[in-house]
Amino acid sequence: MITVSNLTKTFGAQTVVSNVSFTLETNTATALIGPNGAGKTTTLSMLTGLLAPTSGSIEIAGVKDIRREIGFLPQYPQFYPWLTALEFTEMAAKLSGVPASAAKKEAERVLTFVGLEEAMKKKTVTFSGGMKQRLGMAQAIVHKPKLLLLDEPVSALDPVGRREIMNLLKELQQQTTILYSTHILNDAEEMTDQLLFLRKGELVESGSLTEVRTKFESPRYRIEFATQEDALQFASQSQLSATVTGSSVYVEIIEERPTMQQLLERLVASKFAVTKVERVTASLEEIFMKVAGQ
Amino acid sequence: MNTFLTLFTKEFREAWRSLKFVWMPLLFIVLGIMDPLTNYFMEDILGAVGNLPEGFMLTMPELHPIDVLSASTSQFQSIGLVVLVATIASAISRERQNGMATLLYVRPISFTALFMSKWAVASLLGIVSGVAGYAGSLYYTTLLYGSVEYGAFMKMLGTYCIWILFVTAVTLACSAMFNTAISMTLAILLLPFGLMIDSIIGSFWSLSPWKLSAYGVQFISGGTSEYYTATVALTLALMISAVLLGILFSKRNAATAKI
Repeated sequence: MITVSNLTKTFGAQTVVSNVSFTLETNTATALIGPNGAGKTTTLSMLTGLLAPTSGSIEIAGVKDIRREIGFLPQYPQFYPWLTALEFTEMAAKLSGVPASAAKKEAERVLTFVGLEEAMKKKTVTFSGGMKQRLGMAQAIVHKPKLLLLDEPVSALDPVGRREIMNLLKELQQQTTILYSTHILNDAEEMTDQLLFLRKGELVESGSLTEVRTKFESPRYRIEFATQEDALQFASQSQLSATVTGSSVYVEIIEERPTMQQLLERLVASKFAVTKVERVTASLEEIFMKVAGQ
Repeated sequence: MNTFLTLFTKEFREAWRSLKFVWMPLLFIVLGIMDPLTNYFMEDILGAVGNLPEGFMLTMPELHPIDVLSASTSQFQSIGLVVLVATIASAISRERQNGMATLLYVRPISFTALFMSKWAVASLLGIVSGVAGYAGSLYYTTLLYGSVEYGAFMKMLGTYCIWILFVTAVTLACSAMFNTAISMTLAILLLPFGLMIDSIIGSFWSLSPWKLSAYGVQFISGGTSEYYTATVALTLALMISAVLLGILFSKRNAATAKI
């Protein structure tokens, strides 16, 4: 388990990260989300040990030097152009404390895992963006870290590259604790046990996706009518916040407004020809906009 | 120690594959053989291209091995030194600025090992180049001007190596302390430019690392300055201070590595 308590970072008078506390359970994936400039990268750099926090602490249960137990993939990993992927990964392994005798083998293992077995003897200067990201992943996991930190791991990739990296992450999730920052909410929705919302350096919301959903979602329904006229008429009669598109009406039910039951009763009473009624779940994006706009 | 070896291997591979160990010694060899050759053939060169009037008489000074080696040394100390300093002044700062260092700095590495590995490779490069240059110069000097005593030559070469160690330590310390632009400017001001200042107004003092190579050359004429030992000691002391500063600042500035 990884415990982060009261993490704060100030640069001069500017507070970039303020009093952030959270825990990461072993072998879970946590998404750190928030708009640009929310302090995601600063939080990650403090977790890597690269940046010293102004105050607060980061602890991994049972580990003294946390740098040994951390693997880090920056948003745009840069490699030494004269080294091959294998040489670089082997060096990374040795520097993180993998014994010299095992380093090469481990490097070959992770390079194969990320799909670079064909290219491992090539110099990194020839690598494409997707290959660099995969090499970045390999160097981050070669020493089997307890905590894997990823800064926008898929933001710069095309859909194919994104899929590959997401699949790798899902596999890694079985073996290690993952914390990644992202502003692409589809990715967060796909692989996350816990969400951390940062806004202006503060942790404004956290919890599992379901928890956050229940908290921020007001129940919404989509009602489809046979004709657009019926839809428009129902919308104006119902006194609910309703939006009409085509022949369907979106109805949002906010607090003390009618429940599903009451909504159905009204529908029946109205005698309009209803073809479909469904409950709409909010996407993470809508929740994000709500949290970000608070 | 393991970290040092790992980082040394990486530094050496980079320098080797970017052919630094080829072109830098070649440059020094060219600089080293230029003076003995051009001075020897000066009369012929002038006769061939000088377009001199009929009956023009020219007396060429009679050059001794020490004059030639001294001329070669000043070549190394001007062009050679600028190239060497410019090559290594970005060694630490560039990696921080473009983010390559980030992937190393997040690991449990010792910054002493990091600085030492860079210093070792930079010094090796400088020393190999210096030795190659002097070897080229010595070859034509003995061939064209007369023999040079072996022991004296080795003392001169050894002295020059101490100077190279000083140069690389100071340049890398600059690189650890500042970004590439400032580090490059500062190292060039301190070293090649400092040499120039020392040669213009240096007659007012005798203890100065910038005089070290000149004291070294004096071995060839049989004896060196009485200040030689003190100058070596001062140079070594400044070199160690530069190394310590370099280690301190590579650690302190690690957080400025681009993520």
